[in-house]
Amino acid sequence: MVLTSSARDYFNRILQDISGMKVLILDSQTVSIVSVVYSQSELLQKEVFLVELVDSISKSNEPMSHLKAIYFLRPTSENIQYMRRQLASPRFGEYHLFFSNIMKDHHIHLLADSDEQEVVQQVQEFYADFVAIDPYHFTFHVPSNYIYMLPAVIDPSALQRFSDRVVEGLAAVFLALKRRPVIRYQRTSDIAKRIAQEAAKLMYQEESGLFDFRRMEVSPLLLVIDRRDDPVTPLLNQWTYQAMVHELIGIQDNKVDVKSIGKFPKDQEEVVLSSEQDSFFKANMYDNFGDIGMNIKRLVDEFQQVAKSNQNIQTVEDMAKFVDNYPEYRKMHGNVTKHVTLVTEMSKIVEERKLMLVSQTEQELACNGGQGAAFEAVTNLLNNESISDLDRLRLVMLYALRYEKDSPVQLMQLFNKLASRSAKYKPGLVQFLLKQAGVDKRTADLYGNRDLMNIARNMARGLKGVENVYTQHQPLLFQIMESIVKGRLRDVDYPFFGNHFQQGRPQDVVIFIVGGTTYEESRSVALQNASNTGVRFILGGSSVLNSKRFFKDMEEAQRVARSSTSIV
Amino acid sequence: MATRNRTVEFRKYRDTVKSLRTPLSSSASASSGGPVIEMVNTSLLRSSNRSSYTPLSTQDPGPSSSSDAFTVGLPPSWVDDSEEIATNIQRAKVKMSELTKAHAKALMPSFGDGKDDQRQIETLSREITALLRKSEVRLKKLSAGRGSSEESNVRKNVQRSLATDLQNLSMDLRRKQSAYLKRLQKQQEGYDGIDLEINFNGSKSRLQDDGFDDVGFSEAQMTKLKKNEHISAEREREIDQVASSVHELAQIMKDLSVLVIDQGTIVDRIDYNIQSVATTVEEGFKQLQKAERTQKKGGMITCATVLVIMCFVMLVLLIIKEIIF
Repeated sequence: MVLTSSARDYFNRILQDISGMKVLILDSQTVSIVSVVYSQSELLQKEVFLVELVDSISKSNEPMSHLKAIYFLRPTSENIQYMRRQLASPRFGEYHLFFSNIMKDHHIHLLADSDEQEVVQQVQEFYADFVAIDPYHFTFHVPSNYIYMLPAVIDPSALQRFSDRVVEGLAAVFLALKRRPVIRYQRTSDIAKRIAQEAAKLMYQEESGLFDFRRMEVSPLLLVIDRRDDPVTPLLNQWTYQAMVHELIGIQDNKVDVKSIGKFPKDQEEVVLSSEQDSFFKANMYDNFGDIGMNIKRLVDEFQQVAKSNQNIQTVEDMAKFVDNYPEYRKMHGNVTKHVTLVTEMSKIVEERKLMLVSQTEQELACNGGQGAAFEAVTNLLNNESISDLDRLRLVMLYALRYEKDSPVQLMQLFNKLASRSAKYKPGLVQFLLKQAGVDKRTADLYGNRDLMNIARNMARGLKGVENVYTQHQPLLFQIMESIVKGRLRDVDYPFFGNHFQQGRPQDVVIFIVGGTTYEESRSVALQNASNTGVRFILGGSSVLNSKRFFKDMEEAQRVARSSTSIV
Repeated sequence: MATRNRTVEFRKYRDTVKSLRTPLSSSASASSGGPVIEMVNTSLLRSSNRSSYTPLSTQDPGPSSSSDAFTVGLPPSWVDDSEEIATNIQRAKVKMSELTKAHAKALMPSFGDGKDDQRQIETLSREITALLRKSEVRLKKLSAGRGSSEESNVRKNVQRSLATDLQNLSMDLRRKQSAYLKRLQKQQEGYDGIDLEINFNGSKSRLQDDGFDDVGFSEAQMTKLKKNEHISAEREREIDQVASSVHELAQIMKDLSVLVIDQGTIVDRIDYNIQSVATTVEEGFKQLQKAERTQKKGGMITCATVLVIMCFVMLVLLIIKEIIF
């Protein structure tokens, strides 16, 4: 089963069973959940004529008894408070309450208590508590995502909120899949362990009845890993379509806001990039930038053909045909404009920031050895005037992660250079990254230089040569997936939680990255699933990272950590 | 796709809370006793079939009665309009299926002259077009009128969804008619072929006949020719008619296309719509604040001026008083 379709099924069921005119009321999180899988026109088909946020619906008091209210909310105490207030003075004819996760008993009691007029028709739990951005990629949009980098003592309640949200979301994912997983986690990460522990407690003890599904021969696997085990992937420049758009412009819930990069007409300030609705995007989202250019050219040619046939209208028949084809034509027009705009804007940025040059060095740093040459390349780029501050910081970080132990002196030189070149550079951010995700903290063999096997494999790859210099990097996730397929994921590094062990090879694997996923990893998962190895992977994270968001998280964490130590 | 129904738990608790609450305020709730009892009944009824989560609307009269029990006031008048459009669309759909059948029948070769069929097709397509026209006019009226921002939003959305339905329907109708038209034309071409053949035969026979006396067409040939001419004229008229109705539909379509949402665009996003509503609401709020401020300022200024003038007048009075006395 695919996550997008199961989320859609949930909403179909919610909307189908209630007839008549409806108003849908969401909270700030469920808006994202619904938006990525359902469209406004589909809602209209289902007679939902008003969509509102739960906090803004309470501003007006005008009765609308001809409408039936459907609430789809996360069961947070904040939302329960809103609900109570609205039930006390009902505006709508009927109230149907759907909650996206397991409700606490006292919340039900609170609601029942305030429903004096008995307007509530039903209270249900529909476990669509994840933002299914792609068929195999989900996210939770956890607020204050940086928290995972901090040790528990600094802000225990915030960390508790973070892990609660993640555990609830994971529970919802498995309830939507109707499975109870065995749980493994990354040994060196405290937060991964904590989430695994709490998830296991929820699924095997507190709500074991709810998770008691028909036994499959092999339970699915939930693997919880830490972003800091692979800090390299979010630092790299991307060259495949979806990942590149996210890195250079930014994708939020499959929407791209292009306001920041230029002037556009009002209705094109934001565009939708959804693999579910846009067949061109679906076909090309994992392709290289170069290939995209060619495919877009083909798309434009096709469009011109259509436009031309629409232009020469001579007979009544042509006219009729034109009117028939017009909606299709208009749709195509919008789509072509969207992709052409995105690609032109991105190639402008690539040109401006000299990303070809930067990216080549980045990939070298991430994939191949050779410290002397790398040092020289990074120094040269730091001296280059047209390189942006962001890219400089990135390069130094990549260098530092790779050659942390090899040459502290050269590293210091680079730090100083960076500090002198970039005014924006926040002192200590690189050091903070090393402290967070340095070689001592990492579980996996990120650069493949710890044991002989990996060294040999890397050398073999070096001899074979690579197809594309800019996309040679494989995320660590790829190695993990390979070892899961082969059944060779080491128990020492990724222990099972509790006494629920895996028998045989799992067929469904949910990999959750605490701290956020990248679209490069999402691509890797999609390609892995397409290659048909009999194991299906689903990737999830607490947010979707690009390098900017990763930096922001780090800066925030560093700020909080510093302020708390200064207090102590 | 697991779900869990917590309605029973909720109701149980609600009922216990109520039973606790009623004795305290029994006199106050005496008037609303009727509907409450009714509600309990319906709730029991519904909880019995909750195990298989069935649609409420089909077998449960509870919702409407319960909402009637404590909601005063009728739905706004545009609801009637929208319902009427919906029934019109429904009727047009029924007629469409009839039309499809009639088309198929008319195109079938038959021994009769098929006039009845054609008349039926004509009336049907005229009726459907009229229905669509009527609904379209009504639809335009739907957005007119005043109300709060939410209300007007609802109205806009209702309008959009009905417009989408109408557009699909008219597209469907047009496609059917143009298909019919095409096949009709093809048939006519067939007739033309026959005509040619007849002419050819005729001239040939004339050639043959030339040898004898100048008789021209035989009687039978003449009648056949006439009949064919008649049929082709009829067909032509028909084609004209269908074409004109296609044209009319194109007009409707053009008017509707403004209202219909393009799928896959940003306008089709739920969050975008919420955001834009929020921003318009915010803007409205700002405007309101501004208005309030200017109003207040205006009030204050007039107040101050009045006071100053009063002061002045009083002062003058005081001076006059001093001078006189």
